[in-house]
Amino acid sequence: MPNVLRADGITVKFGGVTAVNNVSLSLGSGEILGLIGPNGAGKTTLFNAVTGFAPVHSGRITLLDKDITALPAFKRTRLGFGRTFQTERPFEELTVLENVLIAAFLTAGRRSEAERLAMNVLEQVGLADRAHQPALDLNLARRRRLELAKALAVRPKVIFLDEIMAGLNPPALREMIAFVRTLSTQGLAVLMVEHIMEAIIELSDHVIVLASGEKIAEGTPQQVTSDERVIEAYLGTD
Amino acid sequence: MTKHFLGLGVLLAVGIVYPAIFPNYLTIAISVLLFAGWATSWDLLGGWNGQVSLGHASFVGLGAYFVAIGQSRFGLAPWWTMAMAAAFAAALGYFWGWLTFSLRGPYFSLSTIAVAEILRLVAINEEWLTGGATGVFIATLPEPFGIDLFSRVAQFYMALAFAAVVVATVIVISRARFGYQLRAVREDEDSAMAAGIDPTTTKLKAFMLSAALTSIGGGIYGIVLAFIEPHVIFALLLSVQIALTAIIGGRGTIWGPAVGALVLIGAGEMFRTTFAEANMLIYGILILVVVLFVPRGIVGELARRRIRRLYAKRAQG
Repeated sequence: MPNVLRADGITVKFGGVTAVNNVSLSLGSGEILGLIGPNGAGKTTLFNAVTGFAPVHSGRITLLDKDITALPAFKRTRLGFGRTFQTERPFEELTVLENVLIAAFLTAGRRSEAERLAMNVLEQVGLADRAHQPALDLNLARRRRLELAKALAVRPKVIFLDEIMAGLNPPALREMIAFVRTLSTQGLAVLMVEHIMEAIIELSDHVIVLASGEKIAEGTPQQVTSDERVIEAYLGTD
Repeated sequence: MTKHFLGLGVLLAVGIVYPAIFPNYLTIAISVLLFAGWATSWDLLGGWNGQVSLGHASFVGLGAYFVAIGQSRFGLAPWWTMAMAAAFAAALGYFWGWLTFSLRGPYFSLSTIAVAEILRLVAINEEWLTGGATGVFIATLPEPFGIDLFSRVAQFYMALAFAAVVVATVIVISRARFGYQLRAVREDEDSAMAAGIDPTTTKLKAFMLSAALTSIGGGIYGIVLAFIEPHVIFALLLSVQIALTAIIGGRGTIWGPAVGALVLIGAGEMFRTTFAEANMLIYGILILVVVLFVPRGIVGELARRRIRRLYAKRAQG
């Protein structure tokens, strides 16, 4: 499978602390890569380093064989990255449509064109009927979908999902899992940080397990969940 | 957008007949219009983009000095010098933004105070150009189409045109890509970057546009004053007044700064005549009341209530 995204030997340091140490990953189109690990393992830091929101100390990141290691986050977005944030902060005074419009304007120059694109994305995530409502009034599940819509509206090649399943009730969780599945069948490369194992096991083609900033295991969901080091990292030893 | 342009059209029509109806209240109307234009320009950066400047007197002063020096020293007509002032103000905005936009939070605001202060010192010390502390005097002005630019009526119409152009600019921007970029950067720079927006470039553009528009109003102010002194025009008080006008009217709203100008200048004028020396005190109390009870500003609060009401109605039925 051709790689859309590659990250080689990524190390992130904050002061004297090494948050992520020499981790590599690669992702092809239509592939879903799950990133798991106990709290403080460096998942979000790695995720931020790859998307350009945390400084990379050493290592190399390529998107479609183009070196993007030194590019600021907004340029990575322009080249094909879409991402969600763990704490979704919609633009509350604007309508749902306008929130997505901000991202849609990246590829659509005219407002009418941007509105069309934004509406399409809202239909995709099932928020079209709420397009003209202020974003302030959305509940958690819908805020998540709005966050997803914003990430999709930049027309990404790779989408980074940061714990979008957290806190959802079972029906909403099922919907979200099904939705991420459709994204990958449409050819999008998906990198997700997730605590909900149900989603990881069901969706991931490949899983990377981090603990204390190091990659301790990788493989299919079945392989990593039966890996002793993984169980140890999660449950501890005595 | 059509709604806003319609409103602007109605106000323009009122403005056009105003001098015929209230010929004795032109000076205060000019003040209101200039402040409306300045506060609306300020708001592009301070409200829509969230970068609070406390140095906009710099751009007012630049406009006034360009017009005055251009006319008195070089015989240049105000329209040329206003264009030059706008270009210079934009360049200054670019330079200042380039230096300071990496500072987040109040540091940018604090740094802007220094700009006007530096310009004031330059104006005082470079006597050969600016007339130093005594200032510059505009003795003659060209008469385009036989219009006497020293007449209050002509100055009123210039101020009206200035305010209208600035408000129209904001109406267009509020619906355009740039307007959404401004707001996205204000709300959250990380989310903005995730939408492919370059926060620094966006802020620089906003600063340049805001500075250029303000300086054009400054040029008109120069003509109105006819006599420009550095400590009056580059005053911190003026910078603060411009910012407060927008904040009290409603930051990041189309009409807020204009409403703020009407309320503050109107109230200021009333207090000055009624309470004389105590007027600054009352001005201060008014500001306190707004900050405490209407933190979004007058228009901002009204807009929020409207949205709430609409939504409540929908939720019920």
